[in-house]
Amino acid sequence: MSQFQFRKKYSKKITTIFSGIWFLDPPKDISVDGWRIDNVIQYTDAVITLYFGIVVLAMLYFIIKYRARPGHKAVYDKGDTKKHVGITLAMGMLVFLSIDVVIEGMSFRDLKEAFWNFPKGENVVKIEVMPQQFAWNFRYAGDDGEFGTEDDLIPSQNQMHIPVNLPVVVQVAPYDVIHSFYLPNFRVKIDATPGMINTMWFQATETGNFEIACAELCGNSHYRMKGYLTVESEEDYNNWLQSLEEEGPVDEWEDEDGEIPTRWGWIWKETI
Amino acid sequence: MSNNNKQSFWSKYIFSLDHKVIGKQFLWLGIFFLLFGGFQAMLIRWSLTNNMEPLPWWLFGDILYQNSPVGAGIIGPDAYNQLFTMHGTIMIFWAITPILIGAFGNFCIPLQIGAPDMVFPKLNLISFWTMFLASVVLLFSYFLPSGTAAGGWTSYPPLSTPVGGIPGQGQTFWTLALTLAGTSTLMGAVNYITTIVRLRAPGMGYFKMPLTVWGLFLTSILNALFVPIIAAGLIILLLDNVAGTQFLIAGQKATIPGGDPLLYQHVFWIFGHPEVYILILPAWGVVSDLLSVFSRKPAFGYKTTAICMCAITALSGLVWGHHMYTTGMSPLLGKTFMFLTLLISIPSSIFFFNWLGTLWKGALRFEIPMLFAMSVMWVFGLGGLTGLYNATITSDIYLHDTYFVVGHFHYTMAASVMFGAFAAIYFWFPKLFGKRMNKTLGKIHFWFSFIPLNVVFFNMMVMGYAGHHRRIFDPSEFEFLKPVLELNDLITTSAFILGAAQVLFVFNFVYSLLKGKKAEQNPWEAATLEWTVDSPIPHGNFSSTPTVHVGPHEYSHPNLKDKDWISQSEPIPS
Repeated sequence: MSQFQFRKKYSKKITTIFSGIWFLDPPKDISVDGWRIDNVIQYTDAVITLYFGIVVLAMLYFIIKYRARPGHKAVYDKGDTKKHVGITLAMGMLVFLSIDVVIEGMSFRDLKEAFWNFPKGENVVKIEVMPQQFAWNFRYAGDDGEFGTEDDLIPSQNQMHIPVNLPVVVQVAPYDVIHSFYLPNFRVKIDATPGMINTMWFQATETGNFEIACAELCGNSHYRMKGYLTVESEEDYNNWLQSLEEEGPVDEWEDEDGEIPTRWGWIWKETI
Repeated sequence: MSNNNKQSFWSKYIFSLDHKVIGKQFLWLGIFFLLFGGFQAMLIRWSLTNNMEPLPWWLFGDILYQNSPVGAGIIGPDAYNQLFTMHGTIMIFWAITPILIGAFGNFCIPLQIGAPDMVFPKLNLISFWTMFLASVVLLFSYFLPSGTAAGGWTSYPPLSTPVGGIPGQGQTFWTLALTLAGTSTLMGAVNYITTIVRLRAPGMGYFKMPLTVWGLFLTSILNALFVPIIAAGLIILLLDNVAGTQFLIAGQKATIPGGDPLLYQHVFWIFGHPEVYILILPAWGVVSDLLSVFSRKPAFGYKTTAICMCAITALSGLVWGHHMYTTGMSPLLGKTFMFLTLLISIPSSIFFFNWLGTLWKGALRFEIPMLFAMSVMWVFGLGGLTGLYNATITSDIYLHDTYFVVGHFHYTMAASVMFGAFAAIYFWFPKLFGKRMNKTLGKIHFWFSFIPLNVVFFNMMVMGYAGHHRRIFDPSEFEFLKPVLELNDLITTSAFILGAAQVLFVFNFVYSLLKGKKAEQNPWEAATLEWTVDSPIPHGNFSSTPTVHVGPHEYSHPNLKDKDWISQSEPIPS
């Protein structure tokens, strides 16, 4: 069992014990690394439930035990002795060490191992994403593997296809205002900010149809800025690319709301 | 302050230099906007559960949105965006800020430190009237044909600039109003800081000040430091909107190179994160004091609490990046911001344990201010702990811009801060107006606020955890949100109960003011200086300058015989 599989299995165990404080499940995780995010959330769930529970029990106990009543007097205690201050400091540190340090460690590890560890090599699928008010435009490099060339493929708006089990790197920059490329089933999102090119990667583990949402308020129709993500086998994916090629370049892509971008804003930049 | 007797109506009630009158003016302004902003929240909730249905009569459906493009009395997507934009703006800058900082800052600071008034009474007067002007400008934007601002309370450009595709006039008014409100806050902050530094009564050392004053002091320092920064951001946003500049516009829509929308986000959050502490520090202070008063024992670890609040104040200016983890921030910067953010949990948990320590071995009196103060422990506990998810980069990548964030910041802002403000209002009402508030109505208000509030905001966090992103007019557009939407009915019903409870509160407030029982001088048997003066408090406050002998929380001292408390202006008998 590899280290990842082991950790993933272990995280499932935590899930079964402590699932329930938010009582609804997040969308189905179909990504290689989504479990890492679920894992850090579940660890936080477990510890804060414990601590908050202790605080609430203490408050209830105090409410009953120390309620004002005839014959009961408060004890004059300023809590400023070395012992008292030491205890509160120790409790503060306990919270910090048992929650913050742990989730920070998990988070840094996951960023290093996964989210900021961009895949390299031949089999990486590269897609450029240019959101506009209120639609998603995608661009594929075509046969030559280079963007900004004649054979670039632009499918009709809001249609994104990716192959399963292959790493996908997206570069995101908007046409107009800030949008945010949000894939609930992958637990990730990245802002598309004018003047910036942001990069994110993910990898699907199963095929199917999923949704892309815009997470950053981008105008009056922000609520229906929706994309369709098709995860398919590598073969189907290649066939789809082939069909795009046969259709020829899309000169005009339908857009019910706004204007049509006249040009793609940037050419893929190898960064990081 | 000598011409006490010959004051016209105008100089006594409208253009008064008296900090108590100015405090009350801020209080009325804040309560008005609390209702106004709260009403907009009701409209938002109605729209979410009854999408594209006409408003009912009890939400003024016969009057509002008659010219709506989607049908009379119906909230469309444009109106919806305007509603949540103005709800956020109003609640933060026109409801919480005037009530906690404007009203109680003005009222409590001079009285609690034993001063006759603010050090700059005229500046105080100008501060309120600038805020009033800001309110007029803000309210005016409701009468614009294109409606109010609709870019969210954060108003990120380029959406909030002419290239954003939404009508710009509302945004211009919003920017102007906010700049004016910031100016007012800044004048208040300068006044508060100087007053606390210069006008403390003899014997009132910094570590003898009530924690309320500590909270307000630190808040004012943050305001003085960070309001100018947001003002700079607002002014360049204003220029982009009216003067054709492009400081905040980049990418394909820009015609002049060099602009950067991210600049605004940084400037906004450099102010915006301290802002949440600006709002909550006074509430923490009030709660710390009130827990002590109603537990009849000194605030546990008073000095530690004050130092922790200072530490949080210092850290609050260094953590703004955690609002921007998904902007493509450099890894080193992101990690640094995450580390600094998580550090805040040390001082926060220490003073939280001090609150528990205050209750421990006390004699708890469950008066209404105490109920609200204790409920702050609950809601701030939840609000603070759920901040951990947002502070962590990886979980925030998923939860950023979802309802989880909405639930979280309402737990801290709407719940902790507003309950702190309610505790303060119930507590100081007898000294503000010389009357007692109705207890039964107060208890109803408490329970019908506390329970629905938790239902509303906890379920919002649940929805966010299930992936529901924010600011969505019609969530049924998305398949993955379908399982989540059943919660909306429960949230909306609870929100309406919560709203109704606030109407009851305002009724109680006005009713008690007119018909309430007369309050004695010190109804809560509290030890701080404001309870040693007569009600109503004369202009100039103290007949002679008090001398401070003891700390602010001398309750149940073993040397005290016939009563269990001693005022700060009296020495403890030996």
